[in-house]
Order: sequence, then C-alpha cells, then structure tokens
Amino acid sequence: MNVLGLHKKLEENSGLLIFGILFVSSIGGLVQVLPSIFEDELITPTAETRPYGALELIGRDIYIREGCSTCHSQQVRPLLAEVKRYGPFSSAGESAYDRPFLWGSKRTGPDLHRIGAKFSDAWQRVHLIDPRSVVPNSIMPAYPWLAANAADPRNNIQTRLRRLRLLGHPYSDDAISNAPDLVANKTELDAIVAYLAVLGEAAGSGEEMAH
Amino acid sequence: MPIDFWAGWVAVLTIVSLIGFAWVIYGAYFGGKSVEGDEESPTVWDENLREGAHPPPMWWFWAMLASLVFTLIYLILYPGLGSFSGAFKWSQGGELEERLVEHASTFGSRRDEIARMTIASIRQDELLMRAAQRVYDRQCAACHGLDAQGQADMFPNLRDDAWQWGSSPEAIETSIRSGRHGIMVGWRSSLNRAEASQLAQYTLALAKSKPSVHPGKAKFEELCAACHTTAGTGSTALGAPDLTNGVYTYGGGVLEIKETILYGREGIMPAFGDVLDDMQIRLLVAWLTRDV
Ligand code: HEC
Ligand code: HEC
Repeated sequence: MNVLGLHKKLEENSGLLIFGILFVSSIGGLVQVLPSIFEDELITPTAETRPYGALELIGRDIYIREGCSTCHSQQVRPLLAEVKRYGPFSSAGESAYDRPFLWGSKRTGPDLHRIGAKFSDAWQRVHLIDPRSVVPNSIMPAYPWLAANAADPRNNIQTRLRRLRLLGHPYSDDAISNAPDLVANKTELDAIVAYLAVLGEAAGSGEEMAH
Repeated sequence: MPIDFWAGWVAVLTIVSLIGFAWVIYGAYFGGKSVEGDEESPTVWDENLREGAHPPPMWWFWAMLASLVFTLIYLILYPGLGSFSGAFKWSQGGELEERLVEHASTFGSRRDEIARMTIASIRQDELLMRAAQRVYDRQCAACHGLDAQGQADMFPNLRDDAWQWGSSPEAIETSIRSGRHGIMVGWRSSLNRAEASQLAQYTLALAKSKPSVHPGKAKFEELCAACHTTAGTGSTALGAPDLTNGVYTYGGGVLEIKETILYGREGIMPAFGDVLDDMQIRLLVAWLTRDV
C-alpha cells in the first residue's frame, strides 16, 4: 500500500486514526522512558544509598510541601564547574528510594544534592527560621512555622513506610514499629533538618557506573 | 531486565522509526495517486478542493531530508543507538574527565606553587588575598559572617585574637581541613539555680577582676577547671575556650552564660579537606590571619 492510500484509510476511519496517533506519539516514550523504568543500572540503589529513615522521610514530604524543589535542584551535573562547586556528580541509583525524585531543573538557589556534609544542623535551623540572620543578602523565604508544627500530627508515619515497602523499599518490621517513637515530640524543623543532613551521603558512589 | 535487551530495544525502535519516517516522506511526494479508483469517488470539498490538489511545498521535503541525514550522521558519531558508543567514543563522564585533566594541567603547577608559599608572602600579594576572600565568601561566610566576625551567637569570630582551637597557622589549617566538634556538656543535673547563677557570675568575673574570693569559685574549680583550667584560660587541645579574654561566641550576658552552664553547647565546624584543595586552604589561613 502506498502512503496516500494509508492516509486515506486513516482519515476515513476515526478508530484507526486514534490508534495511529497514540502509536506514533508513544514512540518517544518507548525509546526514552520505558527502558529507564526497567534498566538495572538506573534503578539499582548505589552501594551507599539507603531508604530514608522515618524522620528523614517526613522531612522529605515537608520539603515537597513547601515547594523547596521549585527553587533548588537536586542533581549535580557532570560538568567541571558543577563538580568543583558541589562535589561528585549525581547518579540515577542515588534516587532509587526517591518517589518522586526531586532532581528539578530550576536553580534560583543552589543545588542541594550534596548539602548534607556542608553545613551543620545548627546552621540549617537558624537559616530555615530566618535566612537573613546568617546570609544577609539571601532572597530565600523564611519558614518559621516549621519549628512550631509537630512532625507527624496525623500519626501516619507507619502507613507511609508500609506503602513504600509495597513499592519495594526494604523497611524491616522493626523499622516500621519503631517509627512512631523516632518521630514523637519532633517538629517539622527537626524532620527537614534530618532530611537535609543525609542529602549527599551517597556522593560519588555512582561514579564508576557512569562510565 | 539486562542492559543488552533494552539497548537492542532502543536501537531497533530508533531504526524502524527512521525507516518509517523516510517511507512516509518518500510516499507523500513520489508515491503517486492514493488508491485505485480514487478518480471515480474522490472526496471533494467546496466544489473543486480534493485530496492531493495542492502538493506540499518542495522545501519541506528538503528540510525533512536534511534532518534525516543529520540524524543518521549524529547517530554514527555519537552514542544514541542503544549501547553503540559512536565513532567519536564520546561520553559525558569521559568529557568531564578530560576537562578535569585539562584544569589540572593548566592550573595545577601554579596552584601547588601557591600552596607552598609562606603565609607572609601570600599576605603581601593583593591578587591572592582577593582570591582568598572569594573562597571565604563562597564557603565560609554563611556561617562565620561576611566579615568573618562571627554571627548568630553560634559561629565564632575568626578575626580576633581568641582562638578556641589554637592560633598557629597549623592549628587553623587543621580546623579548616578536618573540622572541629566542640562539646561542652550541660550541668543542670548537678547544679541548683543559686549555684548556677554564682557560677555564671564567677565565669564573667574571670574576664574582669579575677576575684580570689567568690561564691562560685569552688564549684568552678570542681566542675570546670578540668577543661577550662583553674585560671579559666581554657585548653586549645579540648577546644575549651579561654574565659578570661571577654570573647564569647554564645553571648556574654549572664543569661547566655547560665544557659551554657546548664544546657551545654555543641559547635560543629564541618571538615573542608575534601572540598578545598591545598592552595585554597593556604589562602584562607593567610586571609584569616592578615593584619587589617
Ligand atoms: C569537658 C570539658 C568542659 C568542662 C568540664 C566545661 N567546659 Fe565549658 N566549654 C567546653 C568546650 C569544649 C566549650 C566550647 C563549646 C563549643 O565549641 O560549642 C565550652 C564552652 C563554654 C562557654 C562558652 C564560651 C563562649 O565562647 O561562648 C562557657 C561560658 C563555658 N564553657 C563555661 C563553663 C563552665 C562555667 C563550666 C563548669 C560548670 C564548664 N564550662 C565546664 C568544655 C568544657
Ligand atoms: C556550618 C557552619 C560553618 C561553616 C560553613 C564554616 N565554619 Fe568554621 N566553624 C563553625 C563553628 C560552629 C565553629 C566552632 C566550632 C566549635 O565550637 O568548636 C567553627 C570554627 C572554626 C575555626 C576555629 C576557630 C577557633 O577559634 O579556633 C576556624 C579556623 C574556622 N571555623 C574556619 C572556617 C573556614 C575557613 C571556613 C570556610 C572554609 C569555615 N570555617 C566554614 C562553623 C562553620
């Protein structure tokens, strides 16, 4: 059959046309997206990557709620300037326990994928409550309410961990039963600082895989 | 799934799509009439508008052909077809490695040279001091303040004579390279309110009159002297600050001192040995200990 004949057939049969459109527009996804969902190299956690602890996980949820990722990326690209500034470049396996991943593409503030070792918890606290008390020319908003809110007011940390376990995150029964104790009497500030402190823990572990 | 499977998947889909693309373009321009018998029952709109009455312009054809050729050349030279690494053997990681080597060979010897300069000669070089300030602004100012005078009642002043961990260039270098972790435990379980107040008063007095008789003196010698010494001059080995110089990182009011005594303090200076190279650390030591 020639091309114009096929064209006529498609144009006269809307069912076929819909199928044709879906087929053609899915090719990009089949090539780019589908393999990365299943390819071992991309979904296997690197040796140093571990699932988030209970408090860190709550901190991550708060990070998402407050929209931190609209101004901060979490991916150090393999470019000289970035590696010199932030440290080892990010690898896919480091995000194996990030659902969803927070790579981001907007950098109003600096990248945070290697922030963990850079500052102390004490600095993170004063900085989140009032950024300008330590960085006078900062344009980052202040988040004073984090210190006033309980970390897990609805008491559902166990549910969150169990759901992630369904998706394959290796949480032990102990980890789940101990979780409420770990987050009791903690504030949202404690949680997000705990989360920030582990960002970059697995730095550089994916470097060999990238070659 | 093994990598090989998906590499094949990507390669096959890409090639099949490209062939399909070529077939559609070729057919649309040179494939002839649509189907047999089309002339008898053509779809006609507005009296004379029919399929194929206005063929697509030829420059579209050349544009699409050019993009196809570009794609083919690109896929031959660069990675794209599954695991085929391309004729240039280019990779992002390889590119970075090349840049790092280039950086090292361009700047490495000069950086080593500076790293071996004496502190005094670095201080005399205006250009180097400006470079040092930039390193400071980038890495340290968020904690120690833009002027290095400390801030937030938590991060020490680095421009005074009071050095908790030692004032020699070597000690300062160690502070930067390996970080510092100063811990003072709180004493609220062994002190009552009155004793805590007396201790705070005595601690403050150490920087002024150094009284030989004071209600807090005995407790100080009992609990504090082990680290801060009987005279209160501190120990740089333990990071216990000198309490006689009137410099207080955590604030010099009675309330702040009392809080230190009752609840303790913990100061963390992160290690920069992996972040900064020898030259940058050398520059920082010179910049922090400059005269003006
Ligand atoms: C185990 C050693 C140790 C003992 C005992 C100790 N300190 Fe300290 N002290 C330290 C260290 C280390 C620091 C610095 C803490 C830091 O860097 O965060 C410190 C800090 C302080 C400061 C804060 C100084 C500043 O710059 O703001 C005061 C005040 C102080 N100590 C008073 C006391 C008093 C009073 C006692 C007795 C009740 C005492 N210390 C007992 C080790 C000790
Ligand atoms: C996360 C905040 C933070 C950053 C960033 C930081 N410091 Fe510090 N630094 C501290 C704290 C807190 C202390 C006090 C440690 C203690 O209490 O013992 C300190 C102590 C020091 C000391 C020892 C001071 C003394 O009195 O002995 C030096 C020197 C120093 N910092 C230099 C630097 C330099 C240079 C940089 C930049 C490369 C830097 N710091 C970055 C928080 C920081």
